[in-house]
Amino acid sequence: MKQAGSSDIFSIKNKLFRLKRDSNRWSIITLCVVFLIALPVLTIAFKLFNGPGESWTHIVKNLLGDYVSNSFYLLVVCSFLVFVFGVTTAWLVARYEFPFRKQLEWLLILPLAIPSYIVAYAYAGVFDYGGSLEVIQRFFGMEFTRVDVMNRFGLAFVLSISLFPYVYVSTRAFFLNQANNLLEASRMLGVGEIRTFFKLILPLARPAIVAGLILVLMEVLNDYGAAQYFGVNTFTTGIFRSWFSLEEPETAIYLSALLLLLVFSIILFEKWQRRKMQYSSGKTNNQSIYRKITNKRKQFLIFCIVITPVLFGFFIPVAQLIYWAVLTYSSVFHYEFLLLSVQTFSIAFITAAVTVILATLLIFSSRWNRIGFIKNLSKLGVLGYAIPGAVVAIGIMIPTLAIDRWLMDLIEKISGQSFGFIIHGTLFALVYAYAVRFLAVAYNPIESTTLKVSNAIPDASKTLGVGNFKTFFKIEYPLIKTGMLSAFILVFVDVLKELPLTLILKPFQVNTLAVKAFEYASDERVMEAAIPSLFIIFTAAIPVVFLNKLLVSK
Amino acid sequence: MLKIESLSKSYDKGKSFALRDVSFQLGEGDVFAIVGESGSGKTTLIRLIAGLETPDTGTIEINEKLVSSIKKNVAAEKRNIGFVFQEYALFPHLKLEENILYGISKLKNKKQRAKEVLELVGLSEMKDRYPHQLSGGQQQRVALARALAPNPSLLILDEPFSNLDAMLRAQLRNEIFRIIKQSGVTAIFVTHDTQDALAVADEILILQNGKLVQKDAAANLYTKPSSVYVASLFGNTIQLSKELQSAFECPLKTDCCHAIRNENIAINDECDYVTNATVLKKTFLGSGTQLLIKLDNGEHLTVVTKHTHIDERITIGFNSKDVLEFKE
Repeated sequence: MKQAGSSDIFSIKNKLFRLKRDSNRWSIITLCVVFLIALPVLTIAFKLFNGPGESWTHIVKNLLGDYVSNSFYLLVVCSFLVFVFGVTTAWLVARYEFPFRKQLEWLLILPLAIPSYIVAYAYAGVFDYGGSLEVIQRFFGMEFTRVDVMNRFGLAFVLSISLFPYVYVSTRAFFLNQANNLLEASRMLGVGEIRTFFKLILPLARPAIVAGLILVLMEVLNDYGAAQYFGVNTFTTGIFRSWFSLEEPETAIYLSALLLLLVFSIILFEKWQRRKMQYSSGKTNNQSIYRKITNKRKQFLIFCIVITPVLFGFFIPVAQLIYWAVLTYSSVFHYEFLLLSVQTFSIAFITAAVTVILATLLIFSSRWNRIGFIKNLSKLGVLGYAIPGAVVAIGIMIPTLAIDRWLMDLIEKISGQSFGFIIHGTLFALVYAYAVRFLAVAYNPIESTTLKVSNAIPDASKTLGVGNFKTFFKIEYPLIKTGMLSAFILVFVDVLKELPLTLILKPFQVNTLAVKAFEYASDERVMEAAIPSLFIIFTAAIPVVFLNKLLVSK
Repeated sequence: MLKIESLSKSYDKGKSFALRDVSFQLGEGDVFAIVGESGSGKTTLIRLIAGLETPDTGTIEINEKLVSSIKKNVAAEKRNIGFVFQEYALFPHLKLEENILYGISKLKNKKQRAKEVLELVGLSEMKDRYPHQLSGGQQQRVALARALAPNPSLLILDEPFSNLDAMLRAQLRNEIFRIIKQSGVTAIFVTHDTQDALAVADEILILQNGKLVQKDAAANLYTKPSSVYVASLFGNTIQLSKELQSAFECPLKTDCCHAIRNENIAINDECDYVTNATVLKKTFLGSGTQLLIKLDNGEHLTVVTKHTHIDERITIGFNSKDVLEFKE
């Protein structure tokens, strides 16, 4: 009898009735936003059926092995290096008291302010013939020993030193919040410090480390500028070559699909390892870690270890760039450069605004929609960050070109006049692509502030006769605007730093600081890339410090 | 005024039901209590009534207007129901008066109305404060004033006293329901505390595992509970098993279940049914003494008594009018 009742309630007919009752415009809006975000990936998936281009067999035969082996080499070596840099510094900073610890704690995040291609330019300059290293060595009367960095190990080092803060941040948070009672319990059992670290702390920190590591690997696969400059063939450089040099979109799509496959398998691996990690301590411990004070010699040693990645990841490249900037400012720094900066900041501003609005729309429309599976679907919207910029760009270029051709035909038929591109090659396509890629960057801070507002607050507004939309502006917006502001700043900075996507989609007459730096570097005028690079770095450094404050206050 | 028919709600597509086939009607102007343990479905029920959730099946009518069914759902903001949330849900960035004006912005004399309800809850002089500057009891009264301001056709209060300490609780309870009675609105409140329900409700609905098990006036619930579960909600009961019935020599119907309330057990007193017993253990509880008793036929019983001097041998008994009868 009970069974009969429940099967009746959940019969297909009744389900459809409820679906009709529960669907509202927010369900449709959520679906639209998710579709917009998923469009590039869908495009690539569908275009695969058209078959590869003519050079595909040539690429498979001669180049694909290189792409695969280099990309895997980078993934493995970078994983190892960021693990060493990130976990060591996080542990020392969390566990020990030493001079300048507080300053180093946020200095260790600063390398994130420098895009990895700019680090690559700087290191090429340091180690080149006549570079800074040679100048310094000659100054001290030493023999010049040349180190060649323009190879795949050099690339792996450059990527690791500029990306390790992702691991540092997530691991340090774990150490600060969780490690104290583990340490105490272990000490009560008479286990020494080093053994405790390797047997207890490190295995338990694995989910935190892997979470940071995944972000690093996504960035490694996303990189174009550094690999191209160092002459290492990766999937991204392959995509660029087949699109621009070979002019074979079909081949670029096949490479993109392979790269996506790699990205999604990394994401699935992360999900799988997290599922296996069910024993990670569930309750958060607010007791912060007790810092150890050692003798002066050890303190100095720790200080040296911790400052090394900061030197290599921030101060040395910045010093090199400043040196170049002094040499080249008269030729670079003029009216056109100001125009370029204004252009870049305007694009970043517009994109940040659009992305924040889109992320907010996705978060709230999926809440206001009452259909369960659409709610779940809305979480897919954040996957854009995992998709390499070059892939997003190609996935957007194809449909916008198609829509434009159709629109052009239409306009020509109606008015008899021909028109240029409307979406393709315009700011519209560029901002759209940025929004796809950076939606997650905006989504996460907004969502976390939204979750701090009790559900009863908007419910109360509704029972007082106020609809969803008005409730948002009167109640929720004032309560979450700090989250929206940090989302805005984070997207703004990411747009400034972005290179591969911008290179593919930027309108012809528009330029950004990142593209300018890349162009200088590609034209063998890398010194002149310093000023646009420094502009990017100093703008990006402000929110990096601000982000640290946010993380620490959490 | 409120009519609910075979209402069901499941959060896991029918594997389990938060609310299962609940039907009842409420009249105008009274105070109703919905009583149940956590997980009994009481919060789901009021959220369905308010329109904050949609039912899987069944209908809700307010003032003879259909507001929820499998094909129709009137949005929460169009139901004219006042809701006082458990954690009050005052808007933290708005002053008291702004909180109250929020729901009546379209009213012509909204300032006047806000003043009225603030006076009703006795917080007129605090109208320019922010919610975080108020005590828990004051916040609760603001939440009540805010819900009453638009003259709702029905007022719902979710666990209104659970966030208050015991001292404040009884005082505030009487205060809140004085205000509700004064405003004449039909009110439903949800509680897991039967004392609250008995003290202020005209009628009480008991929910158990998502089902409505009894709906009755307070006095009736106490004297004529429909099940052992309902009886046990209003104080300790002792089930009269066959063995106990034979010990007390009380002939009861065999197709029914019987129980007796602890407070109706008499020790060393004249009663309809009496038996002799031995006290095995005494535990002092402060307000009384808990006794572990062994009846002469070997049955064990635990009772609480106000008697202070208890000998080892006692007589224990009860009257036939106090026997509770359930059909199971």
